[in-house]
Amino acid sequence: MDDHQFKAGVKAALPIVLGYLPVGMAFGVLARNAGLTTWEAGSMSLLVYAGASQFIAIEMISKGISWFPIVIATFFINLRHLLMSSTLSLYFKKNRLRTLSLLSAQLTDESFAVAMSDTSKISNRPGYLFGLQITSHCAWITGSVGGALLGGLIDHKSYGIPFALPALFICLLVFQVRKIHHFFIMVMAGLSSLFFKWAFPGNWYIILTALLVSGIGIVIEKKLIPSPSTASGSGEPLARRGEGEPARRTSSLAGGDRGEK
Amino acid sequence: MELDTLYLILGMALVTFLPRFFPMVFLTRWTLPERVKKGLEYFPISILSAIVFPMLFFNGEGRMEVQPHYLLSAIPVFIFSWKAKNLWGSVILGMVIYWSLGFIL
Repeated sequence: MDDHQFKAGVKAALPIVLGYLPVGMAFGVLARNAGLTTWEAGSMSLLVYAGASQFIAIEMISKGISWFPIVIATFFINLRHLLMSSTLSLYFKKNRLRTLSLLSAQLTDESFAVAMSDTSKISNRPGYLFGLQITSHCAWITGSVGGALLGGLIDHKSYGIPFALPALFICLLVFQVRKIHHFFIMVMAGLSSLFFKWAFPGNWYIILTALLVSGIGIVIEKKLIPSPSTASGSGEPLARRGEGEPARRTSSLAGGDRGEK
Repeated sequence: MELDTLYLILGMALVTFLPRFFPMVFLTRWTLPERVKKGLEYFPISILSAIVFPMLFFNGEGRMEVQPHYLLSAIPVFIFSWKAKNLWGSVILGMVIYWSLGFIL
């Protein structure tokens, strides 16, 4: 594993650390209040590592709900990772099963969002993604155990802490808007997510939005933008596509795949 | 550790791991149709939109209701991220604005 890439990944994770430490701490405090030991709270953060579902689990535990319904709820809450794992799979061809297992085990919304902000850095570079994810995971565990041991050292509702991760997501969303039609995609996805969240219970709105909007995206791209797959032979439109979006290497990646197979 | 808690943690770990694991392992080994690949490229922007927008318009109980504290903090972060393209700056700015608004709202 490349040391340089790993370090770059660690550095990229620091804004996530800023958000995970206090939120993890809040989790640790709530877990202790719900009757879990420090050791149990820490194990959950180590082995499950999925913020929203851990908070919901704690809430369900304190209501006296048994383990099985909590596991079922966790499954549905975390099903959205299917989408993120599918997207990441585009960038990790030809890696060993061990590497892929390790990378997928530590996938979270936040690390996915940071990874996607510059896909040229992750493309077949497991070291970078590993550095990004292990750092975030360590922050989450440290926060949880710290919160469980010491109680809330800092008030997690203070100093703007509740807005650290939302601000991170907003900024990374803005980074995804690279062309004019991305802006419309964002608005469309925003409106559909509001509708789906309003119309369906639970966490289905993320999955439904992603499926609907990417479907629309394919149609729009086909209708309005000259298809890169038919034009890639000439090379010129491919170069134009790459221009002004150095972060985006997917078109060249897709080209590379065809060569490999 | 009580047995029930052990089942809980291991069960949660397993059902969380599987959806993270399967696409990564299988899709990297299959050649996806070009159209599916195109669709996957729209996942990041739609997932992030679906994380951000409901946060601004739904309360903690999942009822639709404008969240003025979040919304007023979000707008400057949107603008700053667009202009400055700086992740750290956006996070710190968001926190400062949210914190300051706490004294007013």
